[in-house]
Amino acid sequence: MSKMTQRKSLEYIKKDYKRTRTLPGSWYLASYKFKFNITHMKPFLEKLKEKKLIANQCSSCNRVFFPPRLVCGKCFVKPDKWVDIRDTASVSTYAISYLKDPETGEVQQRPMVLVHHDGADTTSIAELAPDVNVKDTYVGMPIKVHWRDERTGGIMDIEYYDKVDDDSDDLRYKK
Amino acid sequence: MQKVGIVGYYQVKLYSDANYGRYEMIFEASRGALDKAGLKKKDISTVISCTNDYYDGRTISNCFTVEVGGGYMADESKVEMDGAHAVLYGLMRVLSGNHNLAVVWGGSMASCYPYHAARLYETDPTWERPLAYVNDITSAGFQMRAYMEKYGVTAEEIAKVVVKNKKNAAKNPLALEEAQLANLSVKDVLNSGIYADPVTELMVAPPCDSVAALLLAPEKQALKITDKPVWIKGVGYNQDAYYLGDRDLSGCKSMNLAAKMAYSAAGIKDPSSEIDVAELFEAYAHEELIFAEELGFADKGKGAEINSAINGDLPINPSGGALGGNPPCGTGLIRVIEAVKQLTGEAGEYQVKGAKKAVASGQIGMCAQNNILYVLEGN
Ligand SMILES: [Zn+2]
Repeated sequence: MSKMTQRKSLEYIKKDYKRTRTLPGSWYLASYKFKFNITHMKPFLEKLKEKKLIANQCSSCNRVFFPPRLVCGKCFVKPDKWVDIRDTASVSTYAISYLKDPETGEVQQRPMVLVHHDGADTTSIAELAPDVNVKDTYVGMPIKVHWRDERTGGIMDIEYYDKVDDDSDDLRYKK
Repeated sequence: MQKVGIVGYYQVKLYSDANYGRYEMIFEASRGALDKAGLKKKDISTVISCTNDYYDGRTISNCFTVEVGGGYMADESKVEMDGAHAVLYGLMRVLSGNHNLAVVWGGSMASCYPYHAARLYETDPTWERPLAYVNDITSAGFQMRAYMEKYGVTAEEIAKVVVKNKKNAAKNPLALEEAQLANLSVKDVLNSGIYADPVTELMVAPPCDSVAALLLAPEKQALKITDKPVWIKGVGYNQDAYYLGDRDLSGCKSMNLAAKMAYSAAGIKDPSSEIDVAELFEAYAHEELIFAEELGFADKGKGAEINSAINGDLPINPSGGALGGNPPCGTGLIRVIEAVKQLTGEAGEYQVKGAKKAVASGQIGMCAQNNILYVLEGN
């Protein structure tokens, strides 16, 4: 009889289970090529190199999308206009994440924010500058794009967002 | 709508690390529902399951569940969303007129995979993933803060939802043992580990292991099978935009539209007086308040003012809800089952007295992107 295909052993995790055993396996789809369209964002990517921001607009509902969207879900058409938007923005909402460094075990407090750019109708996910104290973050906080020194024409050209001095009247009500 | 009845159900108890094999758990639920209704394998004409390839560690994850789920040599299909969506698929199969009995089952074993880490891969790989670490918990933080900020709701009010649901879970023998906390205080909730500020550990529906099953039959068949069928009077479902940035996170528009659709089918005009009990899939504590408002139980921002205890004006999640345990792919289905139990008077210690009409909801996606709502009525 051939022993070529015989299974030699199975490494079970011996835990205090009465009726079951656990067999460690891997199901880790680490490798994937995300294919995405750049035609609708090429002008936007080009402008990033010049530290300029543009968004696309749906001429049917007039919503301004930043970052640019391929399709306006509401009207089911492609946004067909480009508009300039500012590099100033405000914090729409935020959550503070606690990220543990797997090597040092050090826990970093980082505010994850939804950024609302002046002139846009949508918000986008971003991080704030490392020097912004998480305790000082608030909804409506004015922020500004911090550009990467070497820009390559990609979304990562926006390194993070810097805090801007807040001179709005409602601030005194806020605190 | 032609009447479709729920004629049986079964739920495996929720465990954080179940001493079950996957096959056995599915079999216990499907066979259990069949036994409860006094039916046999030959009575099954269609089987709809709700599982997820990632959660099951194999592709086309309904291929291995054929025998244990009752699908052998029957009409069989899968929904890869929430168990409550599988009920919709089953309902449609029955409404097609081709089937006399649909088995709907759903659930997974969160002890076998890193649930919240898996959900990190839900964000857009080109736009969002490179920019910040955002998974379901972080996005729940966005939503909770947006909701609190817009309506002046406090973290204490949201923590009270946790206190209520964990207390209710303590009365539900099938709830997760770790979530059965009869003596929890608001302070305990706020002082539990911070997951993504302002969301604390106890505000997160704990992922766990379970499978549940439900049986659907057309009116004539339903009345032959049981004298206590529960009728599906209306269903509504809606999908919001994918990008968090395209949505108003202080509310939940898709739940609002789902409710409108379900209410109009069921002829509900004043939900807060017509509905006796609600079982809602709140993946996070604040979602229960947002949903209650979108369902018309309270004005916007006033969800916390509803007396939603078991003996309150409008009991919400008397079973403990998803905060009493959240087996991915099963939770929405369990909400439907819990609503059925209330209407047939089988809810035991957490029975709402005289419940005649109930709503049950399921959801999927970050910040409850997609919602589905059922209006159910006892016989
Ligand atoms: Zn449009």
